[in-house]
Amino acid sequence: MREAVVSLADVSFRFPEDPDNTLTGLTFEIHPGERVAISGPSGCGKSTLLYLLNRLYPLNCDGIVEGDIRLFGKRAEEYRPGEINRLIATVFQDPDSQFCMTTVEEELAFTLENLRVPRSDMDRRIGDVLAKTGLAAFRHSIIQSLSGGQKQRVATACALVAEPEILLLDEPLAHLDPLTARNFVRWLDGLQKQTGLTVVVVEHRLDLWEEFFGREMTLGPGGRLLADKPAVPKPPTEFPGRLSRMTAKPSLSVTGLSVEIGGKQLLAPLSFEAAEGEVSVIAGPNGSGKSTLAKALCGIYKHNGTVRSTGTGYVPQSPEFLFLTNSVRDELAFSGLAAPETLDDLAGRLKLEPIREANPFSVSHGQKRRVAIGAMLADNRPVIIMDEPTSGQDAASLRELFSLIDERSREGVTFLVITHDMEFAAGVADSVLLIKDGRMTGKFRAEDVWEEPALLDAHHLLPPKGADRRAPAFA
Amino acid sequence: MRRLLHDMNPSVKFIIVTVSMLTMAFFFNPWTPLLFWLGILAMQLTMSRINWKLWTLMMLPFTLGAAGYLWTTLVFGADTGGEVVGSFAGIEVTDKQWAHAWSLTFRVMAFSTLSLLFAFTTNPVTFVMSLMQQLKIPPKIAYGTMVGYQFLPVLKDELNQIRQAQRLRGIGRDRHWGQRIAGTRRLLIPMLAGAVRKAERAAFAMEARGFTGERRKEFYQPVHICSRDYVLAGIFLMVLAASCAGGVLLGN
Repeated sequence: MREAVVSLADVSFRFPEDPDNTLTGLTFEIHPGERVAISGPSGCGKSTLLYLLNRLYPLNCDGIVEGDIRLFGKRAEEYRPGEINRLIATVFQDPDSQFCMTTVEEELAFTLENLRVPRSDMDRRIGDVLAKTGLAAFRHSIIQSLSGGQKQRVATACALVAEPEILLLDEPLAHLDPLTARNFVRWLDGLQKQTGLTVVVVEHRLDLWEEFFGREMTLGPGGRLLADKPAVPKPPTEFPGRLSRMTAKPSLSVTGLSVEIGGKQLLAPLSFEAAEGEVSVIAGPNGSGKSTLAKALCGIYKHNGTVRSTGTGYVPQSPEFLFLTNSVRDELAFSGLAAPETLDDLAGRLKLEPIREANPFSVSHGQKRRVAIGAMLADNRPVIIMDEPTSGQDAASLRELFSLIDERSREGVTFLVITHDMEFAAGVADSVLLIKDGRMTGKFRAEDVWEEPALLDAHHLLPPKGADRRAPAFA
Repeated sequence: MRRLLHDMNPSVKFIIVTVSMLTMAFFFNPWTPLLFWLGILAMQLTMSRINWKLWTLMMLPFTLGAAGYLWTTLVFGADTGGEVVGSFAGIEVTDKQWAHAWSLTFRVMAFSTLSLLFAFTTNPVTFVMSLMQQLKIPPKIAYGTMVGYQFLPVLKDELNQIRQAQRLRGIGRDRHWGQRIAGTRRLLIPMLAGAVRKAERAAFAMEARGFTGERRKEFYQPVHICSRDYVLAGIFLMVLAASCAGGVLLGN
């Protein structure tokens, strides 16, 4: 076996303000050409480990490192700033905040300029990496105009243009929808085979990677290595069985709703109904009008047609956009519509009691979502639209979201959930509303829609893995 | 010909614009700023391709401001020396006042036209790159500005989302400006919470790609200073000198 490119011996790491170790006693080696996944729940120190490998830490956080980190046989601290980035390149999770130039070409040149590549070489290397990554057509594209999946490919190209030995990826799929994510993984697979790169990926949703990895390391609490073994493809997050809470009482009835903004029709007239306690998933390709529908339903956008509802609320992807006050208590009471007893009852049911005096901006993401839903319910809005709540969530957080929706639907709350995640949809939805190019294809019963891969495919959706097993004939 | 000002080296343009503005500040006769203003307009007409409709729209507030200057100087001007050249509605205007008022007015017009000329013919990215290459601005500042520039559309979108979400919570459109200022706090907190996160991510991404903030020797797209820039700078300075001289001659 060739010499290890990364080797850690009893490495621990601690942030200066933190009494506990973030990483504890890590010992492992990574060899050239390996495909390694580092998995574990949120907050287990996966990203910290990655940042130790590309030398962003400890310098950027004054962290305290114990033990010995060797990169390419040399002690990590002996590298000059920026030197290791020639050999170890990184792709981050947020497609919107890892670029600093306007076009793809300029962005690639930024890496090369940093690495002091002679100008006469730059053009050739940019051309090479674009050809290798299949992005030649995007050379002069404006980065901000690309889709999330394309941006992640550009970010990968920007890492590869340095001609590194190791490629690190920090949850690169977190902001991509499952179909785009699957395509990215397949693309990366081809690229790795072609180049023989060592690939190390931090990831909490290994199911999306299918059979990509050769080895999986699992980190646990305190950043201890729980397991280090050959990887096996993971099943998707499982959700407990759920009984439909749908009642016969309609809570939302939409007739001939259409949206036109600036003379452009964003949504063609559509009609549907939803009942109390129903959980409906709204799905379709990016830019098909899902968010427009959501915003029209709760009255943010002006629309034609009628929407009859008992009160429609909206929870954006970032729930904190809704927050207006400095405490969870005030946030619930903001509208002044609900009586104090109702608020107490809501806080109890949404498990907000322990954080009632906390600042809504400083609680966890899951709690923010609960506060947002609580605020909507306190406003007498028992029909709740959630915009992409599944994006970038780990398994535990998805299960929490599942139980949040399930419990509320038992109380008669109607949910319309925008998501690309059909595994989640299969777990939670009573019905699925498909949208494409600003038109509603139809509102289907959830069980029916999983049996129609062609229909799902036309809406850029992957059938849930469970459905594949049930209906192999279509797969 | 119609691209000359667009292709001019941004740093040279920037220096020339700054020099012109400083020079203008020393002339109190109405002719210098008027001549300079007309000169700038002529240059803009012949050597740039700009959207004149948008230009007119942008000039509107400046023109109003200029008219305001004219009016206030005529009515409230402290300097009342010289001969009375006319009076209306009981206000007497002396020749000195008259000259000062028009001088201020044309100065506002000249400054705003010059600023718009710079803004309309300069690509912000090239400007920052040129500042780094010609004026030796540290790369940390230059690329920091670039990241900020890339974030602008994202932040605008986010601001929209926050506004919409808050309107849903019953926050209406504030009518009084006082309420509006108080309302920005509500918009700023969620925006800043997101911006801090984004800024850190962007900084990490840049560093992971070998950015150390050191000065670089080679650029993929070098911004050069060529003979065209000297010629254009010369034309600018000639217009400036001519209007200064013309102003002094006509003023006497």
